[in-house]
Amino acid sequence: MKLVIGGCAQGKLDYVLLRYHLQEDMVWDGILPDDGKTFENPRIINHFHKWVRQRILDGGCPEEEVLSFLDRYEDCIIISDEIGNGIVPMEAFEREYRERVGRILVRLADRAKEVERVICGIGQKIK
Amino acid sequence: MRMMILVIGGSGSGKSSYAEKTAVSLAQINASHKTDMTKYYLATMKVYDEEGRRKIERHRQLRSGKGFFTIEQPTEISEALEKMEAGSRTVLLECISNLTANEMFAETETKTEIQVAEKVIKGIELLKEKTTHLVVVSNNIFEDAITYDETTGKYINAMGKINWKLAALADKVVEVVVGIPIDIK
Repeated sequence: MKLVIGGCAQGKLDYVLLRYHLQEDMVWDGILPDDGKTFENPRIINHFHKWVRQRILDGGCPEEEVLSFLDRYEDCIIISDEIGNGIVPMEAFEREYRERVGRILVRLADRAKEVERVICGIGQKIK
Repeated sequence: MRMMILVIGGSGSGKSSYAEKTAVSLAQINASHKTDMTKYYLATMKVYDEEGRRKIERHRQLRSGKGFFTIEQPTEISEALEKMEAGSRTVLLECISNLTANEMFAETETKTEIQVAEKVIKGIELLKEKTTHLVVVSNNIFEDAITYDETTGKYINAMGKINWKLAALADKVVEVVVGIPIDIK
């Protein structure tokens, strides 16, 4: 698994498509499908943070769910916004969301073969 | 060699855990932990509710067994020095964002952003002078593109000034991103 992070609108998806010669039909947008299908090419999970947000709202456990997803699709590229670099929000849910996305990304980065951070469309390899 | 390290990162970035590891290894004089220098943890967070208690509990768990003496110092950070024993010591201060907020909002009279920034910086300068190693954790609160009310704006400006000055004081500045330390100075 590879992890690509960065602020919003930094061109993360375009960067990944170009760098790995992948097509847009290989992108799952804000979802982690669970239909047991397998694929020849690596898949891209875009807007991973939105999936985490939705799972928290649905009362799920994104921390565990993403790990079991990776057990099935280890060969994937996860793209997520970095959302923790702001003023701590007033709303408890927003605080929890940032904190949980942050900690999940720390775990994914630990498991990833490679971590890249994209700024202005440019990727920096940080692991 | 004496060292001051500034660690910055966002919420849930893994900055605390990295800062603790760094402080532990700085305090280590040789391979056996028996001769480690005294380690102090300066806690700046004021607890108002259950969420705060949980947060503190999590940090205690992270630190447990690592031999830190905790000093609660939500304001007047240099006064923590009076609570330490003499001799060589490694100090971990967590974190500048709470300290700054406490200095800015807790008192009856509100201070200007310049007064707050100067007070916090002066406190850290004193700590640096009087400790062997100093690890300071600060927050990257600057990248959410929201225009805030005037008070929060003052706080952001004060934090910006403080981070900037602390980075200049520090021998090393590390940004922690998804748990990965990136050297920026």
